[in-house]
Amino acid sequence: MKKERMAEALAFHAEGLIGQRDDAEAVTLADDEHTRLAPLFELAGRLKQSMQPVKPSATFVRTLGEELVERARRRIALTKRVRRGLLISAAALGSVLSVASVVGAIALVITRNRARAQARAMHASTG
Amino acid sequence: MQAESDSDLIARAREEPEAFGLLYERYVDKIYNYIYYRTGNHHDAEDLTARTFYRALNHISRYVDRGAPFSAWLYRIAHNLVANWHRDRCRRQIIPLEDLIVGRLKREEPASLAEEKEEQDLLLQTVRRLPPERQQLIVLKFVEQMSNAEIGKVMGRTEGAIKSLYHRTLVALRKELVK
Repeated sequence: MKKERMAEALAFHAEGLIGQRDDAEAVTLADDEHTRLAPLFELAGRLKQSMQPVKPSATFVRTLGEELVERARRRIALTKRVRRGLLISAAALGSVLSVASVVGAIALVITRNRARAQARAMHASTG
Repeated sequence: MQAESDSDLIARAREEPEAFGLLYERYVDKIYNYIYYRTGNHHDAEDLTARTFYRALNHISRYVDRGAPFSAWLYRIAHNLVANWHRDRCRRQIIPLEDLIVGRLKREEPASLAEEKEEQDLLLQTVRRLPPERQQLIVLKFVEQMSNAEIGKVMGRTEGAIKSLYHRTLVALRKELVK
């Protein structure tokens, strides 16, 4: 019996155990094939029976949930504070740069005017 | 009213703490079950479940939807934490108190019930000796009752690969049990 066929048969059987069987995927087995796979079918059945869902304790679920939400709240608040701090710093830096550029521009104009005035005075004294 | 999708909750969780709480409520039972059957006791299941969700919370802002369900990401975190737990446990050889208490209780039960439980315990212990990915498959199949397609999405494999892995897992498990 080919491995692929065995895998398909076992998969179909497992889907049936968990209520998800799609009959379109049914594998029809010959008697000898069924005999060969029977121990694995039986094992799968035992697994299904032994592995029932367990419930965590309600206290555990509630307490952990509260702790996680509180931790999430603190993280988000911290992220917002850091973001606000960065925005304020960027704005302050922007303001400083703006003022500096205005002062710089004024200084440049004054310097140029002085330079021109000096040049004119020199020209007048030599001319 | 339709429940909010995981994607919407994840987006909200970056700004609203309650959204992460909703994600937690949606998946805590599944993650707990997965870890319980991988570790075999409630104490470690609680500890590792808590660690799984704390880790998820720490990394939620970096979570990127790559087409796999959000649960796959949680199972991956849980899987890695359980793997570390197993490695640390091998070094320390710890016997959970639960096992000692259960062992004692079994001796006080009717013989047939005790035998049935013993067989069940042996089966589950044998499952826990399988390689991690085979354990994961068994738990997702029989505890979470996921289809092969759903398991494939969680484990990052095709449906065909999951069927093949399931076949090999049953064969290996049977071999261990008849030893």
